[in-house]
Amino acid sequence: MADRAPSRRDLLKIAGTAAAAAASAGAAHAEPGAAVDAEPRARAKPRPPREPLKALTAHEADLLDRIAELLIPSDEHGPGATEAMAVRYIDRGLAGPLAGQRTAYTAGLAALERYARQTRGAAFLLLPETKQISLLIDVESGTATGANVGFDGSSAAFFALMRGHVWQGTFGDPIYGGNEGFVGWDLIGYPGVRTVVTPAEQKLLSPPTRLRKSAYDNPMFNKAIVSQTPAGSDRDAD
Amino acid sequence: MNAIRLLSILALTAAAAALPSSTSAQPAPATLTVTSPTITAGQPIPKQHSADGENTSPAFAWTGAPATTKSFALICDDPDVPMPQPFVHWVIYNIPGAAKGLPANIPIDPAAAMPAEIAGAVQGPSGFRRPIYRGPAPPPGKVHNYHFTVWALDVADLPAGLNKAQLLEAMAGHIVGQGELVATYERKPPPPQR
Repeated sequence: MADRAPSRRDLLKIAGTAAAAAASAGAAHAEPGAAVDAEPRARAKPRPPREPLKALTAHEADLLDRIAELLIPSDEHGPGATEAMAVRYIDRGLAGPLAGQRTAYTAGLAALERYARQTRGAAFLLLPETKQISLLIDVESGTATGANVGFDGSSAAFFALMRGHVWQGTFGDPIYGGNEGFVGWDLIGYPGVRTVVTPAEQKLLSPPTRLRKSAYDNPMFNKAIVSQTPAGSDRDAD
Repeated sequence: MNAIRLLSILALTAAAAALPSSTSAQPAPATLTVTSPTITAGQPIPKQHSADGENTSPAFAWTGAPATTKSFALICDDPDVPMPQPFVHWVIYNIPGAAKGLPANIPIDPAAAMPAEIAGAVQGPSGFRRPIYRGPAPPPGKVHNYHFTVWALDVADLPAGLNKAQLLEAMAGHIVGQGELVATYERKPPPPQR
């Protein structure tokens, strides 16, 4: 990211002006009397309904949803991480194959909230977008590290963990709970998983047909291990 | 050595001494006086300008720029880091020559318009790899000095996207004024665990 002008979809989109204010799911977690700036926070669309959480608390999910939205926003290019249900991917993962990172999320999100209150005077979800982005830049760069500041461990390491999972939840195979409606693949123009490429497609004479199926819809994958059951399955997320 | 050759060498030496050197061709830069409404020289930088606060950029004012000034540049760096080169916290330049300083809270959105009084100013990438201000966040246990150096230049419209080294190279030969404000910051070590 160094030494170039950021694109619209750069890490941590920076919106100069907030387009519209919308009620935030996180507002319920506001501290009474916490300072709130007048600048509204932007949301292009209402959040999709949330399924019952498996690992995250409601507040943790709200925090992650907002961070995911800032990382991969819904904008003129299409839906973003919120619409892709990236946090559903993270929640399911933490209840299963990613369970080993549950404590990192517990500690990291609590530290992020401490850092928000200590340095910006309000809970993260109550901050205006510019301050949320400024704070996340400090977390990303590692300068939020320090027991007196917020993060006991490396804030940069926690940011990298979240960012990686948001990317996975937005662009990964939908069977793992993210990439709802294949919005992530549409966003980057990924044509989809295919096991056969025709001679015409190999010549690249025209854009490949978009296949919008999970890899596990293909008979060659073992559905005995990975099922399409969305909730509570024991599948491996490899 | 014969006398003629010795005289020739002496004559050449005298002629060379009479020529102005390349460094003396440019007059010494004027001294700028740099002040800030929130930062005092030699004193701790307020938290609001650090990663322990909102990390907003401070305001500055300067005086003493010569009439030939066409633009200003400012770099903030910390030479007390355990690194070979000072760590760069801020690079901003193409500040209009008529400007008397910088307002606070320069936008962190590189695409956002600059405040009217410094319209045209651009920010270059810092040590944090972003073209925005990021304030002190030193390792705990040592006082660090932060140098806010301002240059008056006889050129304007330097290319966008310059980092500190590139900016210093672009400014070479064009510096007509210089001044700095040095302030400190320290993060305390965490209290011992019981």
